[in-house]
Amino acid sequence: MPCESRYQAPSPNGTQAAVHCKDHSLYLVSIPGGAQREVVPAERRPSAYVFSPDGRWLAAGFPDGTVELMATQDNAPAKHWKADSHRIDGLYFFPNSEMLLVAPVDSRGQVWELAGTPTLRASLPVDFGGLVAYAVSPDGKLLVAAGDDTVVRWYDTATWQKTQEYSGFLLETFALAFTPDGKQVLAGGADSRITALDAATAKQLRQLPTEPGAYIADIQMLGDGQRAATLYLDDAGEKPPHAVIWNLATAHSAALKFDSPPSCAGVVGGKFWSCTTDGKTLTIVEE
Amino acid sequence: MNFTRRELLERGATFGAITLATSLPLSAVAAAWDEAEKKRQPTPFCELGPFYKREAPQTTQLRAPGDSGMPLALAGVVYDVRGDVVPDAKVELWQTDNLGQYDIEGYRYRALLEPGAKGVYSVESVMPGHHPSRVCQHVHYLVTAPGHKPLITQLYFATDPVFDGDPDKNYHRDPLITSPELVRPVMIKSDAKQVVAVVNFDLVMETL
Repeated sequence: MPCESRYQAPSPNGTQAAVHCKDHSLYLVSIPGGAQREVVPAERRPSAYVFSPDGRWLAAGFPDGTVELMATQDNAPAKHWKADSHRIDGLYFFPNSEMLLVAPVDSRGQVWELAGTPTLRASLPVDFGGLVAYAVSPDGKLLVAAGDDTVVRWYDTATWQKTQEYSGFLLETFALAFTPDGKQVLAGGADSRITALDAATAKQLRQLPTEPGAYIADIQMLGDGQRAATLYLDDAGEKPPHAVIWNLATAHSAALKFDSPPSCAGVVGGKFWSCTTDGKTLTIVEE
Repeated sequence: MNFTRRELLERGATFGAITLATSLPLSAVAAAWDEAEKKRQPTPFCELGPFYKREAPQTTQLRAPGDSGMPLALAGVVYDVRGDVVPDAKVELWQTDNLGQYDIEGYRYRALLEPGAKGVYSVESVMPGHHPSRVCQHVHYLVTAPGHKPLITQLYFATDPVFDGDPDKNYHRDPLITSPELVRPVMIKSDAKQVVAVVNFDLVMETL
């Protein structure tokens, strides 16, 4: 490990990890070799970062509203642009790795096309605040995005017109994921449970049981297309994060056991990965 | 002796202390001066946080009989950046109980207020506790009004022990506090029945 780190993010193919250091610098570390290079110095304090699905790019957002796109595997020049005047709180690559959703805090969401000089393709309004969760359908034709205003909106990615919305949540949604067949959208957030929405009609299909006292921070589908790995954070801020795998067909759940609180969690190659670190070594466990 | 803005301008002009390099009458200059002094800086943004809940009840009484914690009387006026009252604002506020816990299932310590033509809002609550994942006691605000940018912010208390009595110097101890303007003085009032913490927090919205 290049530094003491609380959070890491594995790349989609599992060959690298973005390591966020306590001093706010960001490193790329190869797995399992450990070769490392600093990609963002500490003084820039990245506020969001994400790998592209093809693993070629690492995007980082910053408190001054700028976004930087860095090559992970070659010496392709970085792209750097001012997206907004607000802090960038979220970044999300489209499945083809060619477009990036940028979510500034307290401002509308943006979709940028990345080929050549990044170009703003769409602006995604909210009633207040910013976007907090987003997912694109496997065929890339549909974007769903949840705002601070608790509304989940559907967009046609060909026209960027809003086609539908779901406003049945009283609390915020922090995670959205499509099922691999593209037919359902799983939503989770402060109400502590996964809600399945019909991707075609935006109607609620069903809700899984709640995990009392915790809110959902992330949902990722596993490779079998039947199970969803779900990360929960404690409402009271006292307990460490925990993860549960939900079987969508049976609504049965299995808690994942960790020897120590995980510092990363995600689906890599269809399998659930979690990280722990002792400050010097990054240990990755595959479910 | 107090002079009006117009009288001050007239006296200054008479005695040569002020040279009006304008063709505007004194009354117009005085009015412009008044307008300039009314202007207000927008209230700084501060995170919405994960516990916002839509459809809060319209109530000014958040503190129920028997609730533990120091009673809190919280009030203020909603202005725009010109210094004019925003008459049709809606103020949503939410906070923890005095033990630092949010009510997720229900609506305890959550309210929707409609300040009306005078822009004045007030609630009776309790001093919020310290939520374990946050540094400081705070109250969340979401203020909306037609023609204005929605305002998302948080109120903090100068009496919070985290500030060691000097919020101007120590407000950075909570990384979410972006401006010392969000840390408000607390006045303690008491009568035969109870001791109440009184806090004034005016809200200034940006015009669209």
